[in-house]
Amino acid sequence: MMSKVISGNEAVALGVKLSRVKVIAIYPITPQTYIIEELAAMRDKGELDAEVIRVESEHSAMAAIYGAASTGVRVYTATASQGLLYMHEMVWWVAGSRIPIVMTVGTRAVGAPWNIWNEHTDFMSERDSGWIMTFASTPQEALDLTLQAFRISEDERVFLPMMVGMDGFILSHTKTRVYIPSQEDVDEFLPPRKQPYTLDPEDPVDIGNMFQPIDYMKFRHSIHLAMLHSIDVIKEVGKEYEKKVIPIGSYSTLNDSYKLDDAEYAIVSMGAWSLDVMQVVDELRKEGIKIGLYRIRYVRPWDEEDIKKKLGDKQGILVLDRSVSFGRGGHLYLELKSTLPEANIKGVVTGLGGVSIGKDMILPLTRKFIEGNTNNEWFYPSEVEKVELRNPRYIK
Amino acid sequence: MSLNYQYFPVSRPSEGGGGKTGNWRIVRPLVDLNKCIGCKACYLWCPENTIIPSDGKVTINYEYCKGCGVCSNVCPVKAISMVNEL
Ligand code: SF4
Ligand code: SF4
Repeated sequence: MMSKVISGNEAVALGVKLSRVKVIAIYPITPQTYIIEELAAMRDKGELDAEVIRVESEHSAMAAIYGAASTGVRVYTATASQGLLYMHEMVWWVAGSRIPIVMTVGTRAVGAPWNIWNEHTDFMSERDSGWIMTFASTPQEALDLTLQAFRISEDERVFLPMMVGMDGFILSHTKTRVYIPSQEDVDEFLPPRKQPYTLDPEDPVDIGNMFQPIDYMKFRHSIHLAMLHSIDVIKEVGKEYEKKVIPIGSYSTLNDSYKLDDAEYAIVSMGAWSLDVMQVVDELRKEGIKIGLYRIRYVRPWDEEDIKKKLGDKQGILVLDRSVSFGRGGHLYLELKSTLPEANIKGVVTGLGGVSIGKDMILPLTRKFIEGNTNNEWFYPSEVEKVELRNPRYIK
Repeated sequence: MSLNYQYFPVSRPSEGGGGKTGNWRIVRPLVDLNKCIGCKACYLWCPENTIIPSDGKVTINYEYCKGCGVCSNVCPVKAISMVNEL
């Protein structure tokens, strides 16, 4: 194991290389482009023994690795924003076919209006597709989760594709110190891939054929059960990773927490700004306010049991969302509310489209919440500038 | 741990996946064995898997054949013609 100062994108590219991926489909979209450029460069230098397919769209990127993975090889691609939306159809085909695949999503706002900055709505809009969905909070975690994703996705109790989210720019482009495991450690952790069936001329099968309603429903049910069973697998793989690959993480639970045990109040968040929330927790603790952080790392599977256990007794829960379901509220808020219907939960939607939210904004927001003055709301850290807003005009 | 919750959506080629045809088919494929060169294109393409290669030629199982005409379309030497059922 060694350490280097690298960006989230570079960390992910190294993780993919260490996983001995055999087929990579590449299509550029900000902010993940850097990952696939790195992988292409690695291949160019002969460091990576993989087929790199230059496809003409994200839909084709997913289709290409879906086909390749169906033959039993380990595959990878990355996307973001409009690109993820464009591959949406294929994303469902892969999960429905029960093909293990790992993909990075460098999260980004969805147009219109055009915006290339960070937001989680693209990622969250795939949560019903049957993919396991995890979200990193540091470049280190992006690398760790990528390596674990291959193991989890290919486990016989799971056989579901997995996407690893990472805040666009905030993690993808920021350089920090990252521990990189050795190839030997990864090889020991990540055995060669197996899957229940492969495309093989000696034993022909048809994948994703037409199914009668009752069979179709049975398959959907099996995806649901595999998703639930993956909870144990994730914990097991996390523990092994902690022990054998990088002995510094905390992967024995799906979600992470900070100073939560004795807390009366909790903040729930996901992704990079959770580190800002940790500072907020420290600050408020100095003032004697018992508060802690519950960090969502897995959106799917949803660790209902752990959430009930860790948050069930809290006096108040503030959920920070960087994504929104229009007319309803933040996605995490809605998930939390359905898990703990009796609890005092408030949701704040903020940070959309790259609005910069740091400790100095979360602190007053949290104070207001503890004082009991927060309703479910949208939080703007500064004045909104009107570029050009038209009044409705009616054409005669 | 039992894995019996795991199901995978695959199917294998089998004769007459759509069931027996009954009497609703209106055209049937007729193979001109003098023209047939035994390339098996019709066998590969038949969605009902009702074409059986034998002795370098092909025969068709009309119990399952739906009369879709795919075989007739793909035959490179136009050995299959679709004829009226009655
Ligand atoms: S008509 Fe259709 S179903 Fe019948 S043999 Fe030809 S391809 Fe098969
Ligand atoms: S496609 Fe035509 S030539 Fe080829 S095996 Fe069938 S009938 Fe014969």
